[in-house]
Amino acid sequence: MNGDKDASLLIIDDEMVNRAILANIFSPEYAIIEAEDGQEGLDAIQANADRLSAVMLDVVMPRLNGIEVLRRLHQLELTDRIPVFLITADACSDTMREAYSLGVMDVILKPVVPYVVRRRVNSVVELFRARRMLGAEVERQRDQLLLQAQQLAEMGIGMVEALATAIEFRSDESGQHVHRIHDITCHLLHNTPLGEGLTQEQIQQIGLGAITHDVGKISIPDAILNKKGRLTAEEYELMKTHTVKGAELLSRIPQMREHAAYRYAYDIALHHHERWDGGGYPHHLVGDETPIWTQIVSLADVYDALVSKRCYKEAFSAQTATDMILRGECGVFNPRLLEYFCQEEPVLRRFYPCMKGAC
Amino acid sequence: MDQQKRLLLERAGIDVADALARFMDNEALMLKFLLRFPEDKNFSQLEQALADGDATRAFEAAHTLKGVAGNLSMTRLFQQADRLTEDLRRQDLGAAKDSMPELEEQYAHIISALRELQ
Repeated sequence: MNGDKDASLLIIDDEMVNRAILANIFSPEYAIIEAEDGQEGLDAIQANADRLSAVMLDVVMPRLNGIEVLRRLHQLELTDRIPVFLITADACSDTMREAYSLGVMDVILKPVVPYVVRRRVNSVVELFRARRMLGAEVERQRDQLLLQAQQLAEMGIGMVEALATAIEFRSDESGQHVHRIHDITCHLLHNTPLGEGLTQEQIQQIGLGAITHDVGKISIPDAILNKKGRLTAEEYELMKTHTVKGAELLSRIPQMREHAAYRYAYDIALHHHERWDGGGYPHHLVGDETPIWTQIVSLADVYDALVSKRCYKEAFSAQTATDMILRGECGVFNPRLLEYFCQEEPVLRRFYPCMKGAC
Repeated sequence: MDQQKRLLLERAGIDVADALARFMDNEALMLKFLLRFPEDKNFSQLEQALADGDATRAFEAAHTLKGVAGNLSMTRLFQQADRLTEDLRRQDLGAAKDSMPELEEQYAHIISALRELQ
């Protein structure tokens, strides 16, 4: 601490000779601030709280006495941050007891003995300094752990995205499909009453589930997945198994099972081809038997497929796609869902920088 | 410090070696504050408060005088001020007044020694 000009020591005593003696003892190590009475001392503490290493406080003083100063510091919780030493000619036990109960670190008797007062003050100052440094270190480590946890979580999501994108690439799509479905789903949950009752975190988890909606396609042979013409009835039956297979795949990854997004991802993979009237697959669920978030993913999936070019079809314009959905050409959807979808559909077009008829 | 000055102070009841240690062997600083001691108002305030029968103010003056005397190693004056402080803490003005002449004599001793030093 030698020459550390940031470290200040405040001496509060109405007698100049008493201040001079303490200043003379501590000036090699600290910048000395002096106050001639309790009120001046209190003002000096509040003005210098961030750089005071210690306060030396006399008891009997005009205006505010030492015990009153201490009481105020205790109220302001400053005695926890700055060590206060009572310097007194008075060994009265009542005064000492009260001072200690108000958070004084030590009581030093006048006449002071330089090496004693110096050692006692310096060891407490060191203790406070070490405690502050330890506190800062703990905080730094906690921040680091949080950052690492966040990085791990991001890596996990990155792996899931990579898996989903790889599967999309297989079926000759750009890989953008899963990201747009994610964006559309999250947009509808954030910006319409469809997301009511869901937390930000849950919406994020549903978004992750949207990304993995088609992982089951990994089990579908290339010849069917990338077939240019219409699928035969048998091929279509096989294609439909990507829902069940996807859910099964997710359930076999232990890390996925433990993930907060699992319950969403599992249901979305399994039920994103269900329809409102029971006309979907694999379980022919009716109405809200399919959770609203899975219904949203289904609609986003259909919309995205319509406005994108696929191996078996050209891209439709956004308007045509919307009309087709509303006419029930891609199955029946929840009327309430369609209402909010139509309301937001013009905004959804911004997820498609080169949409047909939009650029 | 020359031996004569030291003897003068010692005879007046000042423990010079102890005072020097308290001023971290800074003799000039010690002398500066010793020579300022006659300006200290606590003694006259103590006298006044006792004359007025004001035990609280007398206690404060005696207490502060005790602190200053202690820090300047005025050993006997410190002891006498301590006795008065305790009398006055109990609000015992009679006992304090009885102790006062001895303190006055000691105080006068110190003041005259310091005048001589100057």
